[in-house]
Amino acid sequence: MKPLMSSLVVPVIALALAAQAQADPGAGAALFNDQGCMECHYTEGPSKEKTIDDQLAKTGPELWYAGSKFQMPWLVAWLQDPQPIRPLKYNSINEPNPENHPALGPQEAADIADFLMGLTSDVVETGVIEPKKKDRKARLLFAKDQPCGACHQYPAKRKVKGGLSGPSLVGASARLNPDWIYAYLLRPEVFKPIKMMPVFRNVLSEEQMRQIAAYVAAFK
Amino acid sequence: MMRFIGLIVVTLGLGTLAAAASAADGEQVFLFYCAQCHGTGGKGDGPNVTKFLPVSPRDFTDAVEMNKLTDAHMAQVIRDGGPAISKSAMMPGWVDTLNDEEIAVLVTHIRKLCDCPGKQE
Repeated sequence: MKPLMSSLVVPVIALALAAQAQADPGAGAALFNDQGCMECHYTEGPSKEKTIDDQLAKTGPELWYAGSKFQMPWLVAWLQDPQPIRPLKYNSINEPNPENHPALGPQEAADIADFLMGLTSDVVETGVIEPKKKDRKARLLFAKDQPCGACHQYPAKRKVKGGLSGPSLVGASARLNPDWIYAYLLRPEVFKPIKMMPVFRNVLSEEQMRQIAAYVAAFK
Repeated sequence: MMRFIGLIVVTLGLGTLAAAASAADGEQVFLFYCAQCHGTGGKGDGPNVTKFLPVSPRDFTDAVEMNKLTDAHMAQVIRDGGPAISKSAMMPGWVDTLNDEEIAVLVTHIRKLCDCPGKQE
Protein backbone atom coordinates (compact mmCIF):
# COMPACT_ATOMS: atom_id res chain seq x y z
CA MET A 1 0.00 0.00 0.00
CA LYS A 2 2.82 2.39 0.90
CA PRO A 3 4.42 2.37 -2.55
CA LEU A 4 0.99 3.14 -4.01
CA MET A 5 0.56 6.11 -1.67
CA SER A 6 4.00 7.35 -2.55
CA SER A 7 3.23 7.08 -6.22
CA LEU A 8 0.14 9.22 -5.64
CA VAL A 9 1.77 11.77 -3.39
CA VAL A 10 4.81 12.44 -5.55
CA PRO A 11 2.85 13.67 -8.57
CA VAL A 12 0.76 15.94 -6.30
CA ILE A 13 3.89 17.56 -4.89
CA ALA A 14 5.36 17.82 -8.36
CA LEU A 15 2.22 19.45 -9.65
CA ALA A 16 2.09 21.84 -6.73
CA LEU A 17 5.69 22.86 -7.28
CA ALA A 18 5.06 23.29 -10.97
CA ALA A 19 2.04 25.48 -10.30
CA GLN A 20 1.47 28.02 -13.02
CA ALA A 21 -0.80 31.03 -13.14
CA GLN A 22 -2.87 29.38 -15.87
CA ALA A 23 -5.34 26.65 -14.95
CA ASP A 24 -4.61 23.20 -16.29
CA PRO A 25 -7.57 20.81 -16.65
CA GLY A 26 -5.25 17.80 -17.08
CA ALA A 27 -3.55 18.64 -13.82
CA GLY A 28 -6.98 19.26 -12.34
CA ALA A 29 -8.17 15.77 -13.26
CA ALA A 30 -5.08 14.22 -11.67
CA LEU A 31 -5.47 16.36 -8.57
CA PHE A 32 -9.13 15.42 -8.31
CA ASN A 33 -8.15 11.78 -8.10
CA ASP A 34 -5.09 12.26 -5.94
CA GLN A 35 -6.86 14.41 -3.38
CA GLY A 36 -9.53 11.77 -2.88
CA CYS A 37 -12.37 13.91 -4.24
CA MET A 38 -13.81 10.75 -5.84
CA GLU A 39 -14.60 9.38 -2.40
CA CYS A 40 -17.59 11.75 -2.22
CA HIS A 41 -18.14 12.96 -5.81
CA TYR A 42 -18.46 11.00 -9.05
CA THR A 43 -17.59 12.67 -12.32
CA GLU A 44 -18.76 10.22 -14.96
CA GLY A 45 -22.34 10.54 -16.10
CA PRO A 46 -25.08 9.69 -16.53
CA SER A 47 -26.50 9.66 -13.02
CA LYS A 48 -26.68 6.13 -11.69
CA GLU A 49 -29.08 6.25 -8.73
CA LYS A 50 -32.20 4.14 -9.08
CA THR A 51 -33.33 3.72 -5.47
CA ILE A 52 -33.37 5.73 -2.25
CA ASP A 53 -30.61 3.42 -1.01
CA ASP A 54 -28.49 4.42 -4.01
CA GLN A 55 -28.92 8.10 -3.17
CA LEU A 56 -28.30 7.58 0.55
CA ALA A 57 -25.06 5.75 -0.22
CA LYS A 58 -23.61 8.99 -1.61
CA THR A 59 -21.68 11.32 0.67
CA GLY A 60 -21.56 14.30 -1.67
CA PRO A 61 -23.18 15.63 -4.82
CA GLU A 62 -22.42 14.15 -8.23
CA LEU A 63 -20.24 16.42 -10.34
CA TRP A 64 -20.44 14.88 -13.82
CA TYR A 65 -22.33 17.99 -15.04
CA ALA A 66 -20.45 20.53 -12.88
CA GLY A 67 -19.51 22.59 -15.93
CA SER A 68 -23.18 23.02 -16.80
CA LYS A 69 -24.20 23.78 -13.24
CA PHE A 70 -21.60 26.15 -11.82
CA GLN A 71 -19.92 29.40 -12.74
CA MET A 72 -16.13 29.21 -13.00
CA PRO A 73 -15.16 32.26 -10.87
CA TRP A 74 -17.43 31.09 -8.05
CA LEU A 75 -16.04 27.55 -8.22
CA VAL A 76 -12.42 28.72 -8.05
CA ALA A 77 -13.20 30.92 -5.04
CA TRP A 78 -15.34 28.32 -3.28
CA LEU A 79 -12.74 25.57 -3.54
CA GLN A 80 -10.34 27.85 -1.68
CA ASP A 81 -12.87 28.90 0.94
CA PRO A 82 -15.60 26.23 0.99
CA GLN A 83 -18.43 27.80 2.96
CA PRO A 84 -21.42 25.47 3.40
CA ILE A 85 -24.09 25.57 0.71
CA ARG A 86 -26.37 23.14 2.49
CA PRO A 87 -27.38 24.05 6.05
CA LEU A 88 -27.58 20.32 6.82
CA LYS A 89 -25.21 17.45 6.17
CA TYR A 90 -25.59 15.85 2.74
CA ASN A 91 -28.42 13.29 2.77
CA SER A 92 -29.31 14.12 6.37
CA ILE A 93 -32.17 16.05 7.90
CA ASN A 94 -30.94 15.73 11.46
CA GLU A 95 -27.29 16.71 11.41
CA PRO A 96 -25.86 20.15 10.65
CA ASN A 97 -23.40 20.54 7.81
CA PRO A 98 -20.07 19.44 9.30
CA GLU A 99 -18.33 22.17 7.27
CA ASN A 100 -15.44 19.82 6.61
CA HIS A 101 -14.92 20.24 2.85
CA PRO A 102 -11.17 20.51 2.24
CA ALA A 103 -9.87 23.93 1.20
CA LEU A 104 -7.45 24.08 -1.73
CA GLY A 105 -4.68 26.46 -2.61
CA PRO A 106 -5.16 28.96 -5.46
CA GLN A 107 -3.42 26.88 -8.14
CA GLU A 108 -5.06 23.60 -7.11
CA ALA A 109 -8.46 25.33 -7.04
CA ALA A 110 -7.91 26.80 -10.51
CA ASP A 111 -6.83 23.47 -11.98
CA ILE A 112 -9.64 21.42 -10.42
CA ALA A 113 -12.22 24.06 -11.34
CA ASP A 114 -10.92 23.98 -14.91
CA PHE A 115 -11.30 20.20 -14.94
CA LEU A 116 -14.81 20.33 -13.46
CA MET A 117 -15.98 23.07 -15.81
CA GLY A 118 -15.17 20.72 -18.68
CA LEU A 119 -17.77 18.23 -17.40
CA THR A 120 -21.05 19.20 -19.03
CA SER A 121 -24.47 17.81 -19.87
CA ASP A 122 -25.88 18.29 -23.35
CA VAL A 123 -29.35 18.42 -21.79
CA VAL A 124 -28.60 21.96 -20.62
CA GLU A 125 -29.52 24.28 -23.47
CA THR A 126 -27.44 27.45 -23.36
CA GLY A 127 -28.67 31.02 -23.59
CA VAL A 128 -32.27 30.28 -22.59
CA ILE A 129 -32.50 31.93 -19.17
CA GLU A 130 -31.69 35.56 -18.45
CA PRO A 131 -31.61 36.37 -14.71
CA LYS A 132 -34.53 38.60 -13.75
CA LYS A 133 -34.57 40.16 -10.30
CA LYS A 134 -37.88 41.95 -10.17
CA ASP A 135 -40.62 39.63 -11.37
CA ARG A 136 -43.78 39.64 -9.27
CA LYS A 137 -45.19 36.51 -10.92
CA ALA A 138 -41.98 34.59 -10.31
CA ARG A 139 -41.79 35.81 -6.72
CA LEU A 140 -45.30 34.58 -6.03
CA LEU A 141 -44.57 31.27 -7.73
CA PHE A 142 -41.37 30.78 -5.75
CA ALA A 143 -42.53 31.78 -2.30
CA LYS A 144 -46.30 31.36 -2.26
CA ASP A 145 -47.82 29.21 -5.00
CA GLN A 146 -45.03 26.65 -4.78
CA PRO A 147 -43.10 25.54 -1.71
CA CYS A 148 -39.58 26.39 -2.95
CA GLY A 149 -38.90 28.53 0.10
CA ALA A 150 -40.08 25.81 2.45
CA CYS A 151 -36.87 23.86 1.80
CA HIS A 152 -34.41 26.39 0.35
CA GLN A 153 -32.95 29.48 1.99
CA TYR A 154 -33.23 32.58 -0.19
CA PRO A 155 -32.50 36.30 0.12
CA ALA A 156 -35.43 38.52 1.05
CA LYS A 157 -35.17 42.21 1.98
CA ARG A 158 -31.98 42.32 4.02
CA LYS A 159 -32.46 38.89 5.56
CA VAL A 160 -32.37 35.26 4.65
CA LYS A 161 -35.63 33.32 4.72
CA GLY A 162 -36.53 29.74 3.98
CA GLY A 163 -36.16 26.15 5.11
CA LEU A 164 -33.12 24.04 5.74
CA SER A 165 -33.39 20.67 3.99
CA GLY A 166 -32.30 21.79 0.53
CA PRO A 167 -29.21 23.60 -0.66
CA SER A 168 -29.31 27.33 0.01
CA LEU A 169 -30.14 29.52 -2.97
CA VAL A 170 -28.50 32.57 -1.42
CA GLY A 171 -25.83 33.69 -3.86
CA ALA A 172 -27.26 31.62 -6.72
CA SER A 173 -26.53 34.49 -9.12
CA ALA A 174 -22.80 33.90 -8.68
CA ARG A 175 -22.90 30.13 -8.17
CA LEU A 176 -25.35 28.63 -10.64
CA ASN A 177 -25.68 28.69 -14.41
CA PRO A 178 -29.18 30.12 -15.06
CA ASP A 179 -29.73 27.62 -17.89
CA TRP A 180 -28.92 24.73 -15.57
CA ILE A 181 -31.57 25.85 -13.06
CA TYR A 182 -34.18 25.63 -15.80
CA ALA A 183 -32.87 22.29 -17.09
CA TYR A 184 -32.93 20.94 -13.53
CA LEU A 185 -36.58 21.94 -13.08
CA LEU A 186 -37.51 20.61 -16.52
CA ARG A 187 -35.63 17.30 -16.49
CA PRO A 188 -34.49 16.56 -12.93
CA GLU A 189 -34.22 12.82 -13.63
CA VAL A 190 -31.17 13.50 -15.80
CA PHE A 191 -29.28 15.10 -12.93
CA LYS A 192 -30.76 13.66 -9.73
CA PRO A 193 -33.03 10.68 -10.42
CA ILE A 194 -33.70 10.21 -6.69
CA LYS A 195 -33.94 13.37 -4.60
CA MET A 196 -35.91 14.89 -1.75
CA MET A 197 -37.27 17.68 -3.95
CA PRO A 198 -40.53 17.00 -5.78
CA VAL A 199 -40.61 16.77 -9.55
CA PHE A 200 -42.67 19.65 -10.94
CA ARG A 201 -43.21 18.35 -14.48
CA ASN A 202 -47.00 18.31 -14.38
CA VAL A 203 -47.28 21.00 -11.73
CA LEU A 204 -45.52 23.90 -13.44
CA SER A 205 -45.65 24.86 -17.09
CA GLU A 206 -42.35 25.24 -18.93
CA GLU A 207 -42.94 28.99 -18.96
CA GLN A 208 -43.36 28.99 -15.18
CA MET A 209 -40.16 26.95 -14.82
CA ARG A 210 -38.32 29.53 -16.92
CA GLN A 211 -39.75 32.32 -14.73
CA ILE A 212 -38.60 30.61 -11.53
CA ALA A 213 -35.18 29.82 -13.00
CA ALA A 214 -34.66 33.45 -14.04
CA TYR A 215 -35.80 34.64 -10.61
CA VAL A 216 -33.52 32.25 -8.69
CA ALA A 217 -30.64 33.07 -11.04
CA ALA A 218 -30.79 36.67 -9.78
CA PHE A 219 -30.51 35.79 -6.07
CA LYS A 220 -27.63 37.64 -4.40
CA MET B 1 -7.70 -12.50 -2.20
CA MET B 2 -9.18 -11.75 -5.61
CA ARG B 3 -11.67 -14.57 -5.13
CA PHE B 4 -12.69 -13.07 -1.78
CA ILE B 5 -13.17 -9.62 -3.34
CA GLY B 6 -15.12 -11.20 -6.17
CA LEU B 7 -17.40 -12.89 -3.67
CA ILE B 8 -18.04 -9.55 -1.95
CA VAL B 9 -18.84 -7.89 -5.26
CA VAL B 10 -21.25 -10.65 -6.26
CA THR B 11 -22.90 -10.56 -2.83
CA LEU B 12 -23.32 -6.78 -2.93
CA GLY B 13 -24.68 -7.03 -6.45
CA LEU B 14 -27.28 -9.56 -5.44
CA GLY B 15 -28.19 -7.45 -2.43
CA THR B 16 -28.81 -4.44 -4.66
CA LEU B 17 -30.95 -6.47 -7.03
CA ALA B 18 -32.96 -7.85 -4.12
CA ALA B 19 -33.55 -4.33 -2.77
CA ALA B 20 -34.67 -3.04 -6.16
CA ALA B 21 -37.08 -5.94 -6.59
CA SER B 22 -38.64 -5.66 -3.14
CA ALA B 23 -41.72 -3.63 -2.33
CA ALA B 24 -41.31 0.03 -1.43
CA ASP B 25 -40.48 0.56 2.23
CA GLY B 26 -43.03 2.98 3.70
CA GLU B 27 -40.77 4.13 6.52
CA GLN B 28 -37.86 4.76 4.18
CA VAL B 29 -40.04 6.67 1.70
CA PHE B 30 -41.44 8.73 4.59
CA LEU B 31 -38.01 9.53 6.04
CA PHE B 32 -36.61 10.49 2.65
CA TYR B 33 -39.41 12.68 1.28
CA CYS B 34 -41.81 13.62 4.09
CA ALA B 35 -39.68 13.94 7.23
CA GLN B 36 -37.96 17.11 6.00
CA CYS B 37 -41.19 18.94 6.92
CA HIS B 38 -43.23 16.47 8.97
CA GLY B 39 -40.33 15.23 11.12
CA THR B 40 -38.89 11.75 11.41
CA GLY B 41 -41.57 10.79 13.94
CA GLY B 42 -44.31 12.57 12.01
CA LYS B 43 -44.98 15.19 14.67
CA GLY B 44 -44.84 18.04 12.17
CA ASP B 45 -41.45 19.15 13.42
CA GLY B 46 -39.01 18.60 10.53
CA PRO B 47 -36.01 20.87 9.91
CA ASN B 48 -38.00 23.02 7.47
CA VAL B 49 -40.31 24.13 10.27
CA THR B 50 -38.70 27.52 10.82
CA LYS B 51 -40.31 30.83 11.69
CA PHE B 52 -40.52 31.49 7.96
CA LEU B 53 -42.78 28.54 7.17
CA PRO B 54 -46.27 30.05 6.88
CA VAL B 55 -48.08 26.90 8.00
CA SER B 56 -47.53 24.05 10.43
CA PRO B 57 -47.09 20.67 8.78
CA ARG B 58 -49.70 18.20 9.93
CA ASP B 59 -48.89 16.24 13.09
CA PHE B 60 -49.42 12.64 12.04
CA THR B 61 -49.36 11.45 15.65
CA ASP B 62 -52.57 13.36 16.43
CA ALA B 63 -54.98 10.42 16.28
CA VAL B 64 -58.07 12.59 16.78
CA GLU B 65 -57.35 14.71 13.72
CA MET B 66 -55.97 11.84 11.66
CA ASN B 67 -59.10 9.79 12.33
CA LYS B 68 -61.12 12.45 10.50
CA LEU B 69 -59.32 11.58 7.27
CA THR B 70 -59.84 8.62 4.97
CA ASP B 71 -56.89 6.81 3.41
CA ALA B 72 -58.11 7.97 0.00
CA HIS B 73 -58.01 11.58 1.18
CA MET B 74 -54.44 11.18 2.40
CA ALA B 75 -53.38 9.59 -0.88
CA GLN B 76 -54.97 12.48 -2.78
CA VAL B 77 -53.08 15.09 -0.75
CA ILE B 78 -49.79 13.25 -1.22
CA ARG B 79 -50.45 12.91 -4.95
CA ASP B 80 -51.82 16.38 -5.72
CA GLY B 81 -50.65 18.59 -2.84
CA GLY B 82 -52.37 20.87 -0.34
CA PRO B 83 -54.21 23.07 -2.85
CA ALA B 84 -56.13 20.02 -4.13
CA ILE B 85 -58.05 20.04 -0.83
CA SER B 86 -57.96 23.84 -0.34
CA LYS B 87 -54.98 23.60 2.00
CA SER B 88 -51.53 25.18 1.84
CA ALA B 89 -49.33 25.05 -1.26
CA MET B 90 -46.43 24.45 1.10
CA MET B 91 -47.49 20.81 0.80
CA PRO B 92 -46.42 19.99 -2.77
CA GLY B 93 -47.97 17.35 -4.99
CA TRP B 94 -45.77 14.29 -5.41
CA VAL B 95 -47.58 12.94 -8.47
CA ASP B 96 -44.48 13.14 -10.65
CA THR B 97 -42.15 11.88 -7.94
CA LEU B 98 -43.85 8.92 -6.27
CA ASN B 99 -45.61 5.99 -7.90
CA ASP B 100 -48.91 4.53 -6.69
CA GLU B 101 -47.16 1.83 -4.69
CA GLU B 102 -44.97 4.35 -2.87
CA ILE B 103 -48.01 6.48 -2.05
CA ALA B 104 -49.87 3.42 -0.75
CA VAL B 105 -47.03 2.37 1.57
CA LEU B 106 -46.73 5.97 2.76
CA VAL B 107 -50.39 6.00 3.78
CA THR B 108 -49.85 2.72 5.63
CA HIS B 109 -46.79 4.14 7.41
CA ILE B 110 -48.62 7.33 8.40
CA ARG B 111 -51.41 5.21 9.85
CA LYS B 112 -48.78 3.52 12.00
CA LEU B 113 -47.61 6.94 13.20
CA CYS B 114 -51.09 7.93 14.34
CA ASP B 115 -51.91 4.39 15.42
CA CYS B 116 -55.41 5.01 14.15
CA PRO B 117 -57.58 3.35 11.49
CA GLY B 118 -58.80 6.62 9.96
CA LYS B 119 -62.26 7.51 8.77
CA GLN B 120 -63.82 4.63 6.91
CA GLU B 121 -64.91 5.25 3.33
